[in-house]
Amino acid sequence: MLGLIKTKMPVLALILVAFSLPTFFTATGNTFFIMVGCLVFLYVIAVSGLDIVFGYSGQISIGHAAFFAIGAYMSGILNNELNIPVIFTMFIASVIAAVIGALLAYPASKLVFHFLSLATIAFGEIVYQIIVNSPGGITGNFRGMFASPVSLFGFPFNSNVRFYYFGLICCILFLLVKHLIVRSKVGRAFIAIRENSRAADGMGIDVRKYKVMAFSISAFYTAFAGAMFTHFVRYISPETFTIQQSIMFIIMLLFGGTASLLGPVVGVVTVLTLTEVLRPLQEFQMLIFGVMMLLVIVVIPGGIWGTMVSAFKKLTGGLQKKGGASDA
Amino acid sequence: MLKVENVTIRFGGLVAVNNVSLEINKKQIYGLIGPNGAGKTTFFNCISGVYSPEGKVFFNGSEMQGQRCFQFNEAGMSRTYQVINLFRRMSVVENVLVGMHSKLESNLFNAILRTPKQRREEEEALAKAWDLLKFVGLEHKGNSPAGSLSYGEQRLLEIVRGLAGDPKLILLDEPAAGMNSTEKRELDKLLNQILERDVIVLMVEHDMRLVMGVCDYIFVLYNGALLAQGMPEEVQNNPEVIAAYLGGDE
Repeated sequence: MLGLIKTKMPVLALILVAFSLPTFFTATGNTFFIMVGCLVFLYVIAVSGLDIVFGYSGQISIGHAAFFAIGAYMSGILNNELNIPVIFTMFIASVIAAVIGALLAYPASKLVFHFLSLATIAFGEIVYQIIVNSPGGITGNFRGMFASPVSLFGFPFNSNVRFYYFGLICCILFLLVKHLIVRSKVGRAFIAIRENSRAADGMGIDVRKYKVMAFSISAFYTAFAGAMFTHFVRYISPETFTIQQSIMFIIMLLFGGTASLLGPVVGVVTVLTLTEVLRPLQEFQMLIFGVMMLLVIVVIPGGIWGTMVSAFKKLTGGLQKKGGASDA
Repeated sequence: MLKVENVTIRFGGLVAVNNVSLEINKKQIYGLIGPNGAGKTTFFNCISGVYSPEGKVFFNGSEMQGQRCFQFNEAGMSRTYQVINLFRRMSVVENVLVGMHSKLESNLFNAILRTPKQRREEEEALAKAWDLLKFVGLEHKGNSPAGSLSYGEQRLLEIVRGLAGDPKLILLDEPAAGMNSTEKRELDKLLNQILERDVIVLMVEHDMRLVMGVCDYIFVLYNGALLAQGMPEEVQNNPEVIAAYLGGDE
């Protein structure tokens, strides 16, 4: 039990810090950061979704903005048009995205890496085109669409501080579920497919089924983040859902580190902080990110978090070896 | 257990496996030998779901041709590969756990809800994985990445991974390739221990000393066709087999 608390210590500390940050920011007058915090939480969920498909299962997707869009627009439309309470529309929209993800992955699971990337780009473009030329203008096309805030039992999360806590709890729940999935038989199947799909097949893993499953779960995550975005910003328009957004998700994931729980967190915080810092140089933003991404891939291929973890392991591993030698 | 009837596979004009029929029933170690290019690995691929050959493959009472590898595995056939096919960045013990995949019943929702049944199953699987690693003497490497093992150890791990799902039959494709003489002696012992676990072994191997010493029954493939079969002594003294290996004058 003590061991368990010890190993979970950094996570618990992180959660505590996250819970107390708004008080700190309000006290110091930096309420702007609370808004950034809300974005961090929803992006962490989106990027964690991408991590399931890209980091764990080894399947590329350059079309995840499409799932983000499906979640965002579906949830907004269901609430605006059918008056279904927002918290339900967020889940319904995510389930719809999961089904679409499965339908996309079923034929696409036969494709190898570079063809899959093209297929997902095409998928992203199709969804974007549907949004800007929607039937009956239901998405508001280029004008965009307004939406209501989330509310739970009549309590609306309509301020940044309120949404911050809503986002934080969602984020913890989604990360917990991801943790449970990747540690299970299903997660092992994902990683086995990434590492060697032929051997995975030989070990009794239905590769196609698990690829579809990974895509589907991933779509659910990213769509839920999209729905959070809608009901946090309360206004969405097509430019948020272009291929640039898909690439942004990939940059965040690669910055932080793939196939880990905290990699997406580190990546999202880093990228959003950089975006704010680089705001004066906005026109060069993508250029700077491009150069930095190259640096990350070449210098620290494990991402920031991945590199920290392996450095830590090397350090403690070295210490253990030393300890063993002195024992002998 | 395994019954193969008139299995043939062609790649373009080349007949890689030509009308092979054989039967494997007894609990013993079977060997599959033949000169280079005889079609041994191709034959393995035909009877384990990698290829869909002409002819019939019966396994454990049901007709299996046309099924995929994972379905053969679910039916109780496991295999190792000529070229090592481990999950390199997973730890050694995780590799063994993946080998148990088709025996674990929990699904995604059990995992998310962490039901008591799922937790018990995972705990038991982990305990069994460590037992298997002890069985082949790899337990001290259990938490290392599989890619960091020596060549011989990787071969051993492939065998353990294949055994993890309690198969009825295991196909070993050149298990001794790249092993040193000590490791080969260990392998000899291990093969007999596998038999004690009620697993039939069918192996392709080039090391004749190992094959003749450990196998109870041998099939000889030559140019894709079954040339001979029988006890090791019979096969060794078969003039056709000797001609195939040494290149006799027709």
